Amino acid sequence: MTVTLRINGDLRSFATDPMRPLLDLLREDCLLTGAKSVCREGFCGACTVHLDGAPVPSCLVPVGLVGDREVTTIEGLGLAGEASDPLQQAFIAEDVVQCGMCFPGMVMSLGPFIAAHPGASAEEIRQAMTGNLCRCTGYERIVEAALTALGAPR
Amino acid sequence: MTRPAAVMDLPRRDAADKVRGRTLYTTDRVRPGVLHGAILRATVPAGVIRKLDVAPARAMPGVRAVATAADAPGMHGIGVADHPLFASDRVRYNGEPLVAVAADTEAQARAALEAILVEIELLPAVLTMEAALAPGAPIVHEGWKDYETLFEGGEREGNIAWVARVERGAVDAAFARPDARIVESVFRVGRQNQAPFEPRSALAEIRDGRVEIECSSQVPWTVRSVTARVLAIPESQVRVTVPPVGGGFGLKFDATIEPVAAVLARLTGRAVAVVNNRQEEMATCLCRENADIRIRSAIGPEGEILAREATVLMDAGAYGGEQVFLTTMTAHTLGGNYRLGAARLVTKAVYTNTPPNGAFRACNGVYNTFALERHTDEICAALGYERMEFRRRNVLGDGDLGATGQVFEGDVLGPMLARAEALRERTGSAKAKAGNRLYGRAVTVGTWFVFVGPSTSTVNLHADGSASVVTTGVEIGSGTMVQALPQIVAAELGLSPEKVAVRQADTDAGGLDMGVGGGRTTVSLGAASMAACAEVRRKLFDAAAELLQARPEELVLREGRVEVAARPGAGAPLTEVVAHAQARTGPVSGSGGFTRPGVPAMPGCAAGHFIDAIDIPVFCVHDAEVAVDPETGHVEVLSYNVVQDVGRALNPRAIRGQVQGGVVQGLGYALHEEITIDEEGRMRQVNFESYRIPLAGDAVPVALDLYEGAPSIGPLGAKGAGEVPILNVGAAIACAVADATGRKVSQLPLTPPRVLGLLRGRDPELRLDHV
Amino acid sequence: MGAPSEGRLIRAESVEAALAASASGARFLAGGTWLMRAPVRGERLSGCFVTLSGIEGMARVEAGPDRVEIGAGVTHEALAAALSGLSGLGALRAAARGAANPGVRRLATIGGNLCAVDFAASDLAPALIALGAEAACETADGPLRLPVEEFLARRAALLPGALLRSVSVPLGPARSAHARLPLRKAGDYPVAILSLAAVIEGGAVKAARVGVGSVEPVARRWPGLEAALAGAPLDPDSAAEAARARLGDFAPRDGVEAEGWYRIEVLPALVRRAAAALLAGDAG
Repeated sequence: MTVTLRINGDLRSFATDPMRPLLDLLREDCLLTGAKSVCREGFCGACTVHLDGAPVPSCLVPVGLVGDREVTTIEGLGLAGEASDPLQQAFIAEDVVQCGMCFPGMVMSLGPFIAAHPGASAEEIRQAMTGNLCRCTGYERIVEAALTALGAPR
Repeated sequence: MTRPAAVMDLPRRDAADKVRGRTLYTTDRVRPGVLHGAILRATVPAGVIRKLDVAPARAMPGVRAVATAADAPGMHGIGVADHPLFASDRVRYNGEPLVAVAADTEAQARAALEAILVEIELLPAVLTMEAALAPGAPIVHEGWKDYETLFEGGEREGNIAWVARVERGAVDAAFARPDARIVESVFRVGRQNQAPFEPRSALAEIRDGRVEIECSSQVPWTVRSVTARVLAIPESQVRVTVPPVGGGFGLKFDATIEPVAAVLARLTGRAVAVVNNRQEEMATCLCRENADIRIRSAIGPEGEILAREATVLMDAGAYGGEQVFLTTMTAHTLGGNYRLGAARLVTKAVYTNTPPNGAFRACNGVYNTFALERHTDEICAALGYERMEFRRRNVLGDGDLGATGQVFEGDVLGPMLARAEALRERTGSAKAKAGNRLYGRAVTVGTWFVFVGPSTSTVNLHADGSASVVTTGVEIGSGTMVQALPQIVAAELGLSPEKVAVRQADTDAGGLDMGVGGGRTTVSLGAASMAACAEVRRKLFDAAAELLQARPEELVLREGRVEVAARPGAGAPLTEVVAHAQARTGPVSGSGGFTRPGVPAMPGCAAGHFIDAIDIPVFCVHDAEVAVDPETGHVEVLSYNVVQDVGRALNPRAIRGQVQGGVVQGLGYALHEEITIDEEGRMRQVNFESYRIPLAGDAVPVALDLYEGAPSIGPLGAKGAGEVPILNVGAAIACAVADATGRKVSQLPLTPPRVLGLLRGRDPELRLDHV
Repeated sequence: MGAPSEGRLIRAESVEAALAASASGARFLAGGTWLMRAPVRGERLSGCFVTLSGIEGMARVEAGPDRVEIGAGVTHEALAAALSGLSGLGALRAAARGAANPGVRRLATIGGNLCAVDFAASDLAPALIALGAEAACETADGPLRLPVEEFLARRAALLPGALLRSVSVPLGPARSAHARLPLRKAGDYPVAILSLAAVIEGGAVKAARVGVGSVEPVARRWPGLEAALAGAPLDPDSAAEAARARLGDFAPRDGVEAEGWYRIEVLPALVRRAAAALLAGDAG
């Protein structure tokens, strides 16, 4: 079956199984490997992409259900090169990253959240991260960096 | 004390790519055209293979090769070579590899596995250590006597893969003293899965007749040697490179699937990828082992520890692996915290028909510290000592003897306890947050070590004033390769760290290295790099002396210039000196090596130990407050304070990140992460739904005091800081929960059902008659 | 994977087309969060599927004077948003806001949630039961409307031929609250869930409905507790005590995450929490 998707602004067609996880199509057919294949059951958030701007775990999205929604991956966030997103900048500047596998998903999940909740508290940020696991950092710095990105006093 | 130039909060150079999804881990390097390998695994815990017909698999679409034990005849292991790559005759655990297939797609490879005809005659299995040690128990390795010994000195017998013993002083006499008060405790802990986000992954291909493996490993040299052993080829025929690793935590210290990729590459002549899916990764995880522990102490009239006896049973699973080595560490974790008049410590690695275990951040130190500190609190409860006072009085100090008779240098734990109290005064208590719940607090001590061993580094200084460092170190997230190493080399050569490039691991380029783990990376690679820089400086100063008409010993490196120390401003830019040297004597490079100096133990104290004394001890004091919900058994950590001995903090901010991460991983071990083994010998928790690693809401901000100045042979006095933050977490939480509930806490993890069961008195008190 | 596969995913534009596809063997596909995890459960994602999102009204929430009609294709996130401002539905809003995690809540639908036969830990199910909601199905023999608890109990037999079209929640004088107990703070499936709806008149409970999820394989009402709560003022402690006296009402399920005894042992605490939240009114 042919599935046509708009991915990071490009309209592309794929001959593929419509029940295939969007994650696999992105990684294997598009070589967009920023979305990570970690748990494949929607618990870790490492494969998060945006569908029309809304963060979802791409492991649970069959490509046949994407329809005409715009797919944005971490690669599509900063096409110009520099990480201009305040959240990414805070992650870099505050030495938040360790192994890094969860961070594309963290950026994809938390970015829209803080944009929509400019007054978010640390506790609200933690709740927004319920679907984003990290095995290295112990989370606190991620929360602090998100607060920095919000310009919140600490 | 002036701050050395190497000390700074250098940000990570890999962060920008990582947050933009540009970093290519091994799993991201499976390019189109690469074959996919898949592994057929046994589905019974013990049996004899009666039939293994792979012909139908060979006929399946897309299949390019099928590998069995015949293609990998060698055996590997630690201490004892007991481990084949594929089962050939006997199956010893549920999940053991039987066959590997390479096909054009992963789906084709997996479909081919299902076509293989397997008949396994079931044998009785031993799924617990208790069963393995029972009289007349089935023997997991019938041919154990015939295995090649790789390290001499361990006792072995039947299902006991290895025994390490310590005997120092007159233990029996101390226990027999009429004034001795004896306290005895038993403990049991389950397994912990490292659950790195990047599963074990390997890409192999044949280039110029050699096997080249790109993989997600912490120890490229182990992948090299294990692959050569099991394939029965010379080590020189294997090259291992390692791109950024998406988490390891010890799991990737051993080789597992990398040789499988190598076998398939040899059979096909093509590039082959073997990437564990999450279920395989978790079902075959080389976990922190489950353990059964008995500790007995004789306490004297002054509250001194006259003698201590302990037996630790470590479940190795079906093959010895790291547990054989780790039997050594009981001596130092149970015997390296407190002053002991006499000590008898026996540690056994036990074979069972369960998936093999491995190394996990601070390894058995984590549960030995839990057991020791709970035992310490049980001593205090039984004999009426105040917990902090008992610790203050008994912790090791300068000149005291460790379990194996090693002499500890410096008063470290005592002052650290005082610092913990001061830290608590600064942070205050969070008791008010407990509300109607049960409140508890505990302060625990822990001793671990830096696993030193050989490392190599080569430093090249270029005419543009930059340097490149070649090692076989790996960046697994701990920051050594992107922070500590460039900081150290830059400081030694008077450069800014941005000018120091660090090569990713390649066994063809760098020399021997024991790998990333055991808190050793910064220490060992840092020391090797300092030695390499010394050679670079010597060559540089020789060239500059000629250029500047000065003696080499008068010269210093300062901000990209070689200068005469006594005459600031008199000198030449580094670029000019290097160019001069390149023309006169050749390019400027240096190589350095490092290994353990070998601190002495007391002769005759230790048997079966891989390390008789620890070269760099590392101490920790953790102080936790908890609230326990009496109706649900939920434990909330209200506050968490850490005083950690770091020797010298080279990058304090990065260390804080490691401590926060290590403590939360420890909270997972203490509270959430449970693994149970079913009646078929499989781990039940093999996905992220059932294996509960902490989420952001379960974390707690850690207040940290870095304790500097303890003796260390590490570069600039540094000690490894990334491994040890997890060490006392199980201990601190368990002791705090015991304090809150008034119950004997004898097992980890303290999941809500377990804690509620304790509160309601549901389960009988733990007895471990087999220990 | 990756092979072209015609007919594997059918997009139904009408109930009739969906039922026809189902009759020819296709499985209904809603948000995908349950079906897409088939490989993790060791199941194959084989056969044909029919997506219902093209059916008119499937993703709509309509609030009338007496009832709220929730299309089966409404996601948890959309449901939580649509319910804000509606009084009395606190349990359902809390269930929709607390289930799973934000990413999954954006995909998972109320219909998929109620039709996942093997999923015992649905948050929506006990909330809908407590609120007296009805499931509206379409079958080849015509529409079928039944209480949610009955739908859940009978769904394994009903579902191959029935399409859950919408869920209808009555609006009334009852207030409601939802208490869930995951083993971590959040993010895992709760080991026990309790939703409470009560009409309080003159300081006493006139009528109460209690939905209990995740304790048994299928969520259900707790009639014994409902009767015990009626007629007296709602007091969290005495409600918990009443619950404790009736724990024998359940035949709890054992699971990897918790054994049965634990699931019922924590019910008094959940009753207390739900009652306190209901009285505090913070849950609507």
